[in-house]
Amino acid sequence: MAESARIIDPSPAAKASKPMPVILLVDDDEITRISMAGRLKRLGYRVIEASDGVAGLAAIRAHRPDLVILDWMMPGLDGPSVCEALRADQELRSSQVVLMTAHDQPEQIAEGLSRGADDFLSKAASKQEVLARVQASLRSSALVREIERTRDDLDRSHRLLSAKQTELESELQSAADFVRAQLPLPGMPAPGVSMQWAYQPSLALGGDLFQVSAWGTDTLGLYILDASGHGVSAALRAVALMSFLREDNLAKAVGSFDPGAIITEANRRFPLTQDGEYFTLWVGRLHLPSRTLSYAAAGHCGAFLHSLEGTSQWLSSASLPLGFDPTIPFHSATAQLQPRDRLYLLSDGIYEAPSPTGELWGRDRLQATLETHRTHTLAHSIGEAMTTARLWLGGDIFPDDVALLGVEVLDGSASAKDKP
Amino acid sequence: MQIRERRIGQSVILDLMGELTYANRTIFKAAVERSKQGGCRHLILNMRGVRFLDSSALGTLALLTQSLSVTQGMVSLLNPQSYVQEIVTLANLHTLLPVYTSEQDALAGSRLPAAG
Repeated sequence: MAESARIIDPSPAAKASKPMPVILLVDDDEITRISMAGRLKRLGYRVIEASDGVAGLAAIRAHRPDLVILDWMMPGLDGPSVCEALRADQELRSSQVVLMTAHDQPEQIAEGLSRGADDFLSKAASKQEVLARVQASLRSSALVREIERTRDDLDRSHRLLSAKQTELESELQSAADFVRAQLPLPGMPAPGVSMQWAYQPSLALGGDLFQVSAWGTDTLGLYILDASGHGVSAALRAVALMSFLREDNLAKAVGSFDPGAIITEANRRFPLTQDGEYFTLWVGRLHLPSRTLSYAAAGHCGAFLHSLEGTSQWLSSASLPLGFDPTIPFHSATAQLQPRDRLYLLSDGIYEAPSPTGELWGRDRLQATLETHRTHTLAHSIGEAMTTARLWLGGDIFPDDVALLGVEVLDGSASAKDKP
Repeated sequence: MQIRERRIGQSVILDLMGELTYANRTIFKAAVERSKQGGCRHLILNMRGVRFLDSSALGTLALLTQSLSVTQGMVSLLNPQSYVQEIVTLANLHTLLPVYTSEQDALAGSRLPAAG
C-alpha cells in the first residue's frame, strides 16, 4: 500500500519559511490524479498521491496530511467509505476531507456530507475554485489542529496536575495519620478513670489536639489545644506545642506539672507568628487519690465539669491566648471531682457549629445535650453530642475542627482522705 | 471589607465596615501599614460597622498591638458591636488594648471605659 503513495516535490516558489501544507490526493484515475496534483503543486502545496482508498487510508495514517482530497468513485474502498472509516477512527477522525466528483447533484452532496466529507470539489472546477476550496479547507484544518494541540496540552497538564494532586493527598493523609497517632487511645488512661473522644478535623489536617496521659504515678495530665488557622501550618504548630507538653519535656523545661506554670512557660516559648497565628490552650492536672483537679487556660474556653451530684461548671475564665503578652503569668485554679463526675475537654468548633440560618449551637445546648445523656456510657454521651451538633449544622462537615474528649472518674477509684 | 481613613493629629481613625476575618486580613493589614507609614502614633479602629471578628483577626489585633508598642504607639478599639465586644472580652483582648465608646475619649487617649 505504501508503495502506491508518492510525494511530489514542491515548486521552488512555494518553499517559504512557514511549514508547507501537505495535501493527500487519492484517485484511481492516474491522468486525473496527475493533473490535479500538478495544479496543487503549482499552487504551492506539498502533495502526496495514493491510487485507491486503501492506500489512501494508509497514507493518511502515515503522513497525517493537512487536507485529503478523495475521489468519489474508486474500486474497492470508494471515497465516502474512506470518509466513514476516518470518522470511525479515534486518531484520524478530525482529518479534513474534500470529496472530488464529476457529478455534483444535491443528493450526492448530501450523501457525501452525511458519510463524513467536509466539502466537495468538482473535477471540472476552475483553478480559482480549486484554490478557494483548498484554502478554505486548510483554514479549517489549521483550526482543528490548533484545537487538538490545545486539547493535548490540556490533557498533559491535567494528567500532571492529577498526579501531583494524588501525591499531595497521599502526603497529607500520611501527615493526618501521624497527627491522629498522637492522640490518646480511648480506654483507661489510669486505674479508675475511663476516657473516650470524638475528633473531626475540618480539613485533612486539624489544628485542635488533645492528650490524656499519666504524669507520675498518681497524677493524670490533660490538655486540649487549638492552633489558629487550618491545614498543614496549623497542624505542624499544634504538633510542636504537643511536643512541648510531653511529660518528660515538662519536667525539664518547666520543672513542674502545675498547669499555671506550664502555660506561663508555653506563653513565653510560643509567641505570635509573623502572620498573627497563635494557640489557645487548656491544661489540667488530676490528682487521682484525692480527685482534685488543678487547671489553667490561655484563651481556651473548652472544659466542662459535669458533676453527677454537685454543681456542673465550665472550667475557664477570660484569659489571653498564648503569645498575646509573653510577660504575663498564668495561675492555676482547682475543682473537686466526685466519683462518676465527667470532665469534658472540647474545641470551640463543636459549640460554634452554625445552623443553616447562621445561629450557633452554643455552649448551653451542648451542655444540655451532655446532661440529657448523663445516664448512658461516656462513649454514648459523646456520640450523641456529636450527632446533635451535626443535626444542628444540617450536615456532616463542620466549618472548624471538632474535638470532644470525656474523662470519667469511676466509683472507688480513689480514697477521699488522700490529698495531693 | 471597606476601610476609610481619617487623620486627626498624630492619630488615625480607621472606620471599618464588614467582617474582620482571615479572608480580609490583607486589606486590613495594608490599611494599617499605610497609617503606620504616615507616622501614626495612635491607631483607633472604629468597629461600629464590624459585624464579625474571627480568631485570625484576634491574632492580627494582638500582633498589631505588639508592633506598635515597639515604636511607642498604641491601638484602640472604638464602639465594638455586642458580638465583637463579647469575643474581645472572652479573649481578654481588652487587657491589651483599650476599648472606647466615644471618639473624643479615644482621641484623648483615655483608657475608660473599657469593655468587659
